[in-house]
Amino acid sequence: MNTQKNKYINSYVAGFFLGLLIIAAYYFAGEGLGSSGGYRDVAFGVINKISPEYAHQNAFVAPHVSSDEGPTHTWLVYELIGVIFGAILSAVIFGRMKWSIGKAPHITNKKRLYLALIGGVLWGVGTQLGRGCTSGLVLSGMAVNSLSGYIGLIAIFGFGFIFAYVFKKLWIKTKN
Amino acid sequence: MEELFQTARDIHGLYPHVHIWGWPIATYLFLGGLAAGILLFATLYYLKGKENDMPFTVKIAPIFTFIIIVIGLLLLVYDLHHKLYVWQLFTTFRIESPMSWGAWTLVAVSILSLLWPLSYVDDIEKYLYERGWKKLDFITKFIRNLEHNWLIPRFIILTFRKYRTFFAWILLFLSIILGIYTGILLSAFNAHPLWNNPILGPLFLTSGVSTGSAFVMWLSNNKKERKLMSTIDMALIAMELFFIIHMIMGMQAGPEAFKQAAHLFLGGEFTVIFWVIFVGFGLVLPFILEAFELKGFHVPPALPALLVLIGGFIFRVIMVYAGQMSEYPF
Repeated sequence: MNTQKNKYINSYVAGFFLGLLIIAAYYFAGEGLGSSGGYRDVAFGVINKISPEYAHQNAFVAPHVSSDEGPTHTWLVYELIGVIFGAILSAVIFGRMKWSIGKAPHITNKKRLYLALIGGVLWGVGTQLGRGCTSGLVLSGMAVNSLSGYIGLIAIFGFGFIFAYVFKKLWIKTKN
Repeated sequence: MEELFQTARDIHGLYPHVHIWGWPIATYLFLGGLAAGILLFATLYYLKGKENDMPFTVKIAPIFTFIIIVIGLLLLVYDLHHKLYVWQLFTTFRIESPMSWGAWTLVAVSILSLLWPLSYVDDIEKYLYERGWKKLDFITKFIRNLEHNWLIPRFIILTFRKYRTFFAWILLFLSIILGIYTGILLSAFNAHPLWNNPILGPLFLTSGVSTGSAFVMWLSNNKKERKLMSTIDMALIAMELFFIIHMIMGMQAGPEAFKQAAHLFLGGEFTVIFWVIFVGFGLVLPFILEAFELKGFHVPPALPALLVLIGGFIFRVIMVYAGQMSEYPF
């Protein structure tokens, strides 16, 4: 068990590096880090490919598909590609490369995947209402001392605690 | 006069319609290259006497090539406008036509690739059991039935087994032709500058052989074999990168039409998909992963293999679509 733990970097050190990364992101890209934005841009790209008329009429999608280069030509999309690249390398170097579904031992894979899908959908809707996820809203927001970043932090982790309490049975086996 | 030419060029039907090839042709070129790669290794290692050291490569992998080629040929027929006239390709042979070469090579290769695994039925059965694919043993049972109860198939299988070395030489030669042909088919189109370059033949051959080695690496259950294929694949990826850089350098040093063709990958429409998806994820990342694997890190063999296979497919899609967009200027 101990060896498993040592494969990960100390979380405080990782946080420090993440902070340096945000500075680099602002310096080179002129924008903070983000992840939901990249997925959103890919989604816009798919919508634009399937039905350009709809994409140009829709008030939410239209501003993003009007440029010549298309909605996926943003720093966040490339950042995500880099994240995939780096994650694979990191997993290989630290011997974590295997197919698995991270879940509590007492629930089935199917249940875990359904719940993850529901959670993902809620997260997707939420990030668009909040204009960013933990990285885009909270991390990058707080880096520039934006009030929305602090509110986002309180809301995400505050409600996270509440929901964790409600759904803890999915992760921790209780007596009944 | 010039104005007349400019307008005349727009007349519908004057030029053959340029966007005639889509994903079926790209997939077909990919499958052709993949089959060529698998057969190249099978025959090469057989002729080197490594039959028992490389059991999957020599004995089992060729059974997939027949299926791969049949799917490719079906796509080719699907792409034809007059599907029922397909037989006419086989009523003629024109030495100057790559399509003619391809059609005949594919027929010969598909027959030989079907006969090749038929005489390795014991090894195929062993592989199926080792992999836990026992349900598929109806294939081996069917082959046994053919061999023991039917006179003509028995004669063919036994003859093939007897002269295997001879057929291996033919198949080795044909697999190289097949691999090169997938590139030459495009480079024979003089009207498209991107295709009209001589590196395309060797580049498609290398890429096809690389996907072949990735396929073997993925499905083989022999560690030594996997390791060797991984090493070979790294060398092939390095060669591919070399060819790609030279292809683009050659175009950049050429006349305007070629510079415009290269621009499709250097700032034009296909820049991202070519460099990020194909070169980044289809060549560089699998190369790094294979290097790590050789260094002793644990990498699931399916990962670099699938990246190479997907990269090889995307490369052909890009080349087919981008090639049809590149034209000589007015």
